[in-house]
Amino acid sequence: MAVPFKNILVYIDGSEESISAMMYGILLAKQNKAELSAMYVVNTKALSDLVKVGIFLDLEKNEYQRDLQKDAERYLKHAQKLAKKKEVDVSCITEEGSAHRIVRDYIKSNDVDLLVLGGVSTIRSRRDELNSETDRMVRTVPCPVMLVREDEDLWETFE
Amino acid sequence: MNLVEILDENLIKVPLTGKTKDEILEELVQTLAKGKDLSSFDYKAVLTAVKNREELGSTGIGKGICIPHAQSEAIDKISLVVGVSKEPIDFDSPDHMKSKLFFLVVAPVSAASAHVEVLAAIARSCSSSVFRRMLEQCKSSREIIQLFAE
Repeated sequence: MAVPFKNILVYIDGSEESISAMMYGILLAKQNKAELSAMYVVNTKALSDLVKVGIFLDLEKNEYQRDLQKDAERYLKHAQKLAKKKEVDVSCITEEGSAHRIVRDYIKSNDVDLLVLGGVSTIRSRRDELNSETDRMVRTVPCPVMLVREDEDLWETFE
Repeated sequence: MNLVEILDENLIKVPLTGKTKDEILEELVQTLAKGKDLSSFDYKAVLTAVKNREELGSTGIGKGICIPHAQSEAIDKISLVVGVSKEPIDFDSPDHMKSKLFFLVVAPVSAASAHVEVLAAIARSCSSSVFRRMLEQCKSSREIIQLFAE
């Protein structure tokens, strides 16, 4: 285990919390002179499940998949812009599949030593336990995980 | 994103009074328009988007559940309307069962990820027959929110 962290991965899902996580990851990478990667996973598993249960038509699945691919491009471009502001290099990765599995496998095969995530949901019900992708990541990845809470100072740092 | 986060007391209608598929769709979109203070132009835009989707194939998924949905720029963030009908409504579901539980999900194109998550969360919740029965018996918006929060 490398301390301080030398290979940091930030998972971005488009939520504001995940953008905060990106900012935190950038500052952490700069401070530790660590490698930084940002990953967006197009959740094709969820799309296929929606077709299976009859909510989506195949046509819709394809349309949403394209929308999610555009989201991936947009958010990763934003991540790059944020990193550039702090003169930090970031590798951007787009994957498709089940988000928590893809992240876990990437961490294992790339020796990532810290995963940075936006906070898990604050309001929750028993029914939603273990269904959030970020919650599942926290429970299944082999490396330390940092959960970033909303912090206005963090956003101001990048303005 | 989980359902409790986006459930809104103003976006729940119990009971729905529509007697046909078209009436139910209109009632759900009206509930959305009222709760979100949409203009009549935006109301019509959402209703058209929902009906256009419905024309491609019924959003009745069986077991008495319908999940009409659409993308629309008439609203700024993902919204969920929950409606419970006392009378079962014919929604052309694949199992030919009439429906009492309705979930309308409308989101802007930019919220595709949240849209997918919410639809998946509804499907998960409604996979339990006990949950479906309890939801059918809810008599107020508050009871529905409590049920989802349990």
